[in-house]
Amino acid sequence: MAAFYIALWGLAALLGATAVGALVWAIRRGEFEQLREASMSIFDDEEPVGEVTDRFPRN
Amino acid sequence: MASTAETIPPPAPEERERLTRIQIDRSCRQTVVWYYASAVFWLLAGSALALIASIKMHSPEFLADQEWLTFGRARPAHLAAMIYGWGSMAGVGTLLWLQARLTRTRLPFPTLLPATAVIWNLTVAFGMIAILAGYSTSIEWIEIPPATAVLFGFCIAVIIAASVRMFRQRESKHTYVSQWYLFGAIFWFPLLYVSAQIFLHTPAAAGAVKAAANWWFAHNVLGLWFTPIGLATVYYLIPKVIGRPVHSYHLSLLGFWTLAIFYNWAGTHHLIGGPLPAWLITVGIVGSMMMFVPVVTVAVNHHLTMVGHFHYLKHSPTLRFVVYGAMCYTAVSFQGSLQSLRSVNEVSHFTHYTIAHAHLGVYAFFTMVMFGAIYYVAPRLLNAEWHSAGWIRAHFWSTAVGMAVYWLGLTWAGWEQGRMMNDPRVPFLDIVKFTVPWLWSRSAAGVLMTIGHLSFAWLFWNILRQRGAYLPGPTLLVRKGEPAGAAAGGGE
Repeated sequence: MAAFYIALWGLAALLGATAVGALVWAIRRGEFEQLREASMSIFDDEEPVGEVTDRFPRN
Repeated sequence: MASTAETIPPPAPEERERLTRIQIDRSCRQTVVWYYASAVFWLLAGSALALIASIKMHSPEFLADQEWLTFGRARPAHLAAMIYGWGSMAGVGTLLWLQARLTRTRLPFPTLLPATAVIWNLTVAFGMIAILAGYSTSIEWIEIPPATAVLFGFCIAVIIAASVRMFRQRESKHTYVSQWYLFGAIFWFPLLYVSAQIFLHTPAAAGAVKAAANWWFAHNVLGLWFTPIGLATVYYLIPKVIGRPVHSYHLSLLGFWTLAIFYNWAGTHHLIGGPLPAWLITVGIVGSMMMFVPVVTVAVNHHLTMVGHFHYLKHSPTLRFVVYGAMCYTAVSFQGSLQSLRSVNEVSHFTHYTIAHAHLGVYAFFTMVMFGAIYYVAPRLLNAEWHSAGWIRAHFWSTAVGMAVYWLGLTWAGWEQGRMMNDPRVPFLDIVKFTVPWLWSRSAAGVLMTIGHLSFAWLFWNILRQRGAYLPGPTLLVRKGEPAGAAAGGGE
């Protein structure tokens, strides 16, 4: 019983470790250095900031 | 390709970008439309089973002579249809389209990915038949037989391969916050699913320990599969629809990484008061309270992004559904954290309150966000407009009001039910009688939500047949230079 709980807890820890690992990887890659550019990356010249891209159909 | 380049002059940069987006959206057409159409089918199947299960709660004689529709089968079949059929398939469709958009690459594997949709459907169908025939595993959220794990595993493996490939070939220089959430979903779900299958079906996991593994899995399916897909969609669609970047990109990243680190610990709060080691449950409670950090950051960020733009809710179907969902994410998360406190839980546990909470998460948050996503994505894939604004409004209002009625009725009934159950002087049958009118209100809410689903299915059927106005480009719902929200039929 106890071994099983520890195994389950270990699994949760493993899952947590993947998140920490990914965070370290992302920091090393410099993913958090150009935050403004990253936040703008979903816009472009054709669909720039300020352009509304959805509305109800006309009929 | 070479001959085309000779005859057609190179397009202007702006035109090139639009062509790329058309190509990206079109590359998703077959796969994502398969996933969405299947999702809509399972939504209807799940609604029918939900109504049957709900009616049986207050009128137990209803269909009582149908063995395969007894409550113990109809209810888990409803859950399987909604979780693995509707939710996961709408989620995978949206996840693939979002990744293609975010990485600015085409969706790979044009035959393999639609094939996974077919396999996924067959797997869900097999699981549903097994449950209705009485072969449920009786483990909540994972009632479908373990044999299906292999098929789901294959589909997920292909989806992971497609995600990694798009990310490696990405044209975009920056990794947008939605991409982090999507990676979270796509890598954690298989880990959860496989671990749960192993843990739940080994001889070591029997009795109370099975419950611990069960709830670690079930809670994480919501938190590390549906929630990240839902939030990735919100983080993409709100800024995209209103044309304004996320208010604070710092906060959005803080929200993701704190979710990634805290969520996974919260599951054992489902077993407060159960025969488990106290430390195991306390870990769950601490994890749940830590969730206030990501939830508050997400809520503040979405609110500040929307400030000054709330009037677009009148004109954009996508925004309506997505903002409704985002607000309910805040509500359900606050409620969930508070519910994990032992003092609250001793009242709310084993009552209808929990059912209301679960639907606030999976329906009011996730499902509404997925509706919003499909309203945005489907016209761009099918080059057709939705055929009727009226049906969209009918869909929104019946689901939004239906969900509110559902939540209010069961939350109130559940809380009172819990208080009465904690009072030994109240006879049990009185408690049962007290809940009956509220169970009727749930069935009424279910009928409203089903009306919404039927409206949505009708809209989806018509857009599949391209009955709406033809859209030449992918994003011409509002043309350049036209004032935002000037749509003739857009008012409410």
